[in-house]
Amino acid sequence: MTSNISASGLSYEQALGNYHLQGEFPAHDLDIDKDDLLKQFHPDHRSETITTLQVGPNKGARCHAQLAQILQADSRIDAADLAGARIKETDVLVIGGGGAGCAAALTAVEAGAKVILATKLRLGDSNTIMAEGGIQASIEKEDSLQAHYLDTWKAGHKTGEKALIKQLVMEGPETIRWLIQQGMQFDLNQFGDLLTRKAGGTSGNRVVYFRDYTGLEMMRVLREAVQNSDVEVWDYSPAVELLSNESGHCAGAIVSSLEESRYVQIKASSVIIATGGIGRLHLNDFPTSNHFGATGDGLVLAYRLGARLRDLDSFQYHPTGVAYPQHLSGTLITEGLRSSGAYIINAQGKRFVNELQPRDVVAAAIIRECREGRGVQGDNGMQGVWLDTAGLEARNPGILQQRFPKLVQLGLKSNIDIKKIPMLIYPTLHYQNGGVVIDKNGLSSVSGLYCVGEVSGGIHGKNRLMGNALLEIISFGRKAGATAVKERQSRGHKQICIDHISNLRRELMQNNMPMKCKAPVLFPNYTKYDVSDEDDPHHSRIFDL
Amino acid sequence: MNTVHKNNVLLHPNSQGNNLNNWLNSYGGSGLEKALDAPEQIIELLKGAGLRGLGGSGFPAWKKWQFVAEQAANPDKYLICNGNEDEPGTFKDAYLLAHSPNQVIEGALISAVANGTNRIVFYINPEQKKSLESIRNAVEQWQNSELFQRVADYLGRPLSFRVMASSGHYIGGEETAAIESVEGKFPFPRGKPPYPAVSGVHGCPTLINNVETLSNIPHILRNGVQWFKDLGKGESSGTKIYCLSGDVFYPGVYELPMGIPLSELIFTHGGGMLLEKKLKAVFTGGASSTILTPKDLDVPLDFDSVRERGSSLGTGAMIVVSEGTGIVKRVTEYVNFYAHSSCGQCPPCKTGTFYISQLLNRIDTGQASNNDLDTLINLCKILPGSGRCHLLDGAINIVDSSLSHFVDEYKSSLKY
Repeated sequence: MTSNISASGLSYEQALGNYHLQGEFPAHDLDIDKDDLLKQFHPDHRSETITTLQVGPNKGARCHAQLAQILQADSRIDAADLAGARIKETDVLVIGGGGAGCAAALTAVEAGAKVILATKLRLGDSNTIMAEGGIQASIEKEDSLQAHYLDTWKAGHKTGEKALIKQLVMEGPETIRWLIQQGMQFDLNQFGDLLTRKAGGTSGNRVVYFRDYTGLEMMRVLREAVQNSDVEVWDYSPAVELLSNESGHCAGAIVSSLEESRYVQIKASSVIIATGGIGRLHLNDFPTSNHFGATGDGLVLAYRLGARLRDLDSFQYHPTGVAYPQHLSGTLITEGLRSSGAYIINAQGKRFVNELQPRDVVAAAIIRECREGRGVQGDNGMQGVWLDTAGLEARNPGILQQRFPKLVQLGLKSNIDIKKIPMLIYPTLHYQNGGVVIDKNGLSSVSGLYCVGEVSGGIHGKNRLMGNALLEIISFGRKAGATAVKERQSRGHKQICIDHISNLRRELMQNNMPMKCKAPVLFPNYTKYDVSDEDDPHHSRIFDL
Repeated sequence: MNTVHKNNVLLHPNSQGNNLNNWLNSYGGSGLEKALDAPEQIIELLKGAGLRGLGGSGFPAWKKWQFVAEQAANPDKYLICNGNEDEPGTFKDAYLLAHSPNQVIEGALISAVANGTNRIVFYINPEQKKSLESIRNAVEQWQNSELFQRVADYLGRPLSFRVMASSGHYIGGEETAAIESVEGKFPFPRGKPPYPAVSGVHGCPTLINNVETLSNIPHILRNGVQWFKDLGKGESSGTKIYCLSGDVFYPGVYELPMGIPLSELIFTHGGGMLLEKKLKAVFTGGASSTILTPKDLDVPLDFDSVRERGSSLGTGAMIVVSEGTGIVKRVTEYVNFYAHSSCGQCPPCKTGTFYISQLLNRIDTGQASNNDLDTLINLCKILPGSGRCHLLDGAINIVDSSLSHFVDEYKSSLKY
């Protein structure tokens, strides 16, 4: 990970000596030219990592080179692989078992549709459970939908899709209500009202939360709801290709059943992709806070079928990922900590940024400190800056144990008493801001193909606010589920095919693109689920566990 | 989509666009003028030119015209321009309607002059939204044109155009089903006789022509019989629009001389096989799809030559399949399509297509026994001809054809 950092900083001990457990830090000198900072230090602005797409609906668009590689890769399957493949029929096929997928599946099944939810690992293995800080909804008296709208739009550098943002913020309160009805718990005050706090880049208290594992609690509830519903859950069944009918309407998917080691065709009236982001591609060699399965499969599948994408050069690096100890590197530390008043401090013991700026600004500022020699040099070559957990505890005794139990647990795992010593942090690859272009119902530019959650783009523009992702997955997930059901066809599709694979191969060959690379990736290359082994086209290695 | 070929007539740049003035200024309208000058010679001309029905039947177009021309109007005569096109791998009519509707409309007006078909219905697949929009636009322009008025005056009966979205069912493309549909009913095929030429829409004599057939007519009238004959290769006349799809490098719509060899279509125009795989089979599209194999690469693509190889040129759709593709799977997909498309009117077809598709699915997924294969072969013998229309025969044709070429592949898919 050293490639991210040029100048060497101060040693851990030296920096710890510079750190003084103070009550307050002066807040002056924190005004900075944000645009300049982002341009110089944010990883999205490294021109050498950006390329231009040469095939597909976004031909000519800017794209991160590592993402471009998988968007312009050959399919994993051939027509021959489908001979003898089992065929299963359903109304709605949901791909992805995170929060968005579950919300969509639940809504569709409640509307009377037959629903299959196919997920790469197990139901709930997702980035939803990694979400810690909370979920945004404008529910406070002094807050307003307009303020939520403006905050979201501004944080996204005014590039978000206004109609989508409008729908997102308007659905906020109703989404919280639905979650409570499903049985989700939130932190409450002594009167039983929802507690709220401020997130980086927001103008008021708007984030509702449960401890520092809001997403885990959400997933617990959704998973139980799905398991108690009529949704048919297919674990260990990553989708490897979509199907389409005679008029290009998405008509299902081919999933690779890891347990049976064979392909299965699922025919459906409509498909909802909720596969999440691409953190596990480790763009720019960054560590990631993302779940194991976040390899951008949904983007690849949708792009091949002709869905337009957007903002493919924009990713969110969460400012506070663990930098030390190394085995936890990339693990997320919640923004809730900064919301509650924790400072970020460099190796010289000084604050250098207003911690409640949007995430991209704070991340860029941390990278600046490290690159300019004011970072803390860990013994593993990793650099970082302090997140002042100890200062927060000193000012608010007991807050860590009560509000951030997961963080305290993380401290124990790291052998660091975070109540006394600050944590070493560095930005971690966190979120894919762009994705598949969708409308208010989550429908992509391909009929019958819906995309919800991180795989979709447009809501957050080029930067996302804390808490908006959890809101998005539930509100858009439910919308997509409800809309997808309406496409149920009484007589099914006339013909189903994978002709788009031939089209892809033609385009790749015509543009002299390499045919060796295969996508979707399915699993990062350092896992035992390596299905990319050329000598072993069918994934039998899984059984060598 | 394609480069201009010297044989391009229907796809010639001058034929493109739905602006009537552009069409009249390039060379449009002159065929209709000639028709109005000598109405009695039109059918003779078509007979001389040897124009065949290009919607799949290959039935001589002039014969159909003559039947209708001989009938008395009762009180009207109908022309249905059949653009229901829904066969797997066929997309030429949609292309013609979307890009060059004027020649279709002029062909229809020539029919009005020759046969007295004063009620003209453009019957279009509703899923082809571009085609519908394009022809609606063009028809509007024609209705206000001087030529339209001249045809109406000549007929002395009310002349009308109607652009109608069909039901979108595959079976709606069958002639008598189209008639039912035009009458506002579900497209159930009718029994024959009476033939449409005698009693079709509302009991009136009705002529049904495919979009591509009608498109050729203005060109034949304008340029003459010899010109049309010279376009074709060998005994064949004119051009054919081939829909090339599947595992070739350049799939697409190709207008080429009727009677070019299959190899020329695939390897010269189609750019050869995708990923340089070996050719395994070609599914010809249309009501009676069948299979051509690599040994048929030399077959001239015209109705009679392809029929001699036990196959059918059909609509001109050529779905190219490379080694590595399961024939049983492909055939299963076809038969699923037919089972899905059966209107359910005739029990042998309703249950037959369903049962064959079940058998094929079992064979394809490795669940079938030898008995299942025998049953399939038996059904192929007893079912043909037992439906009102040819849908069932179409389903049997493809199974039969694949069994004759690839029976080993069927056998190796059996479980026991």
